[in-house]
Amino acid sequence: MTIGEILFHLGADVANIGDGEREVTRGIVGDLLSHVMGTAPENALWITIHGHLNVAAVAVLREIPCVILAGGRTPSPEFLERCCTEGIAVGLVKDAAFDVCGKLWEIGLRG
Amino acid sequence: MTDPYVVEFTVEGEDFLAAGEASNNIKETLKMLGVPSSICRRAAVITYEAEMNLVIHARGGTLRAEITHERIELTARDEGPGIADVNLAMREGYSTAPDHVRELGFGAGMGLPNIKRNADTLHINSVVGKGTELRAVIHFDGEDSSGGGKRRAML
Repeated sequence: MTIGEILFHLGADVANIGDGEREVTRGIVGDLLSHVMGTAPENALWITIHGHLNVAAVAVLREIPCVILAGGRTPSPEFLERCCTEGIAVGLVKDAAFDVCGKLWEIGLRG
Repeated sequence: MTDPYVVEFTVEGEDFLAAGEASNNIKETLKMLGVPSSICRRAAVITYEAEMNLVIHARGGTLRAEITHERIELTARDEGPGIADVNLAMREGYSTAPDHVRELGFGAGMGLPNIKRNADTLHINSVVGKGTELRAVIHFDGEDSSGGGKRRAML
């Protein structure tokens, strides 16, 4: 499923589409940056409640193509700017991270 | 014999807006040199965790990468407070990070364990009140998780 299709499925407010045509089949959820840095699968999207610049830095280094900001959290301008510069898709959802995981599991994404 | 390719960056303490830039520059350098992506990923984990330690704990320092045909040597140096008990600091879950840093998602006590997992060799020399030198090496002739077997950087 493409990033664009995933964001549509989640009903996300798309803050940046990034590479919306890119296929993603895996995901990781977590708010501990070192956990994501150390264990993110290749080409996985990332569900988190953090929307600050350091999340973008980890996404860039781990080549994470899409960040889903859960729980209705507001991203910082620096985070959005970096994601736009680096082509990282950003979806904003009101759902809790748990519910986002459930919705993505239903459409075939795995950890 | 070709000289090693060396890049070195200064990392400012407590600068969370610039955090990760040095690691990203090193990663881009490795990619430019043709280092396999699986090794770039391992190096990125090491440099990022080392860089964050400089930012969070050490009031800044330097991050250096030395690349040869055989290996990448990554060195973080600082003149910070030092690590009183390196073995304890290596234990997953142990952290001395303050609350304002934990609120950003740091301080999980996974930094040094992440570095150890991704390095072929890791040496930490630390003197309380003087500073710390962390040296991690990745050899190109190790197992390549991308399935490419033995690799050499194109220097």
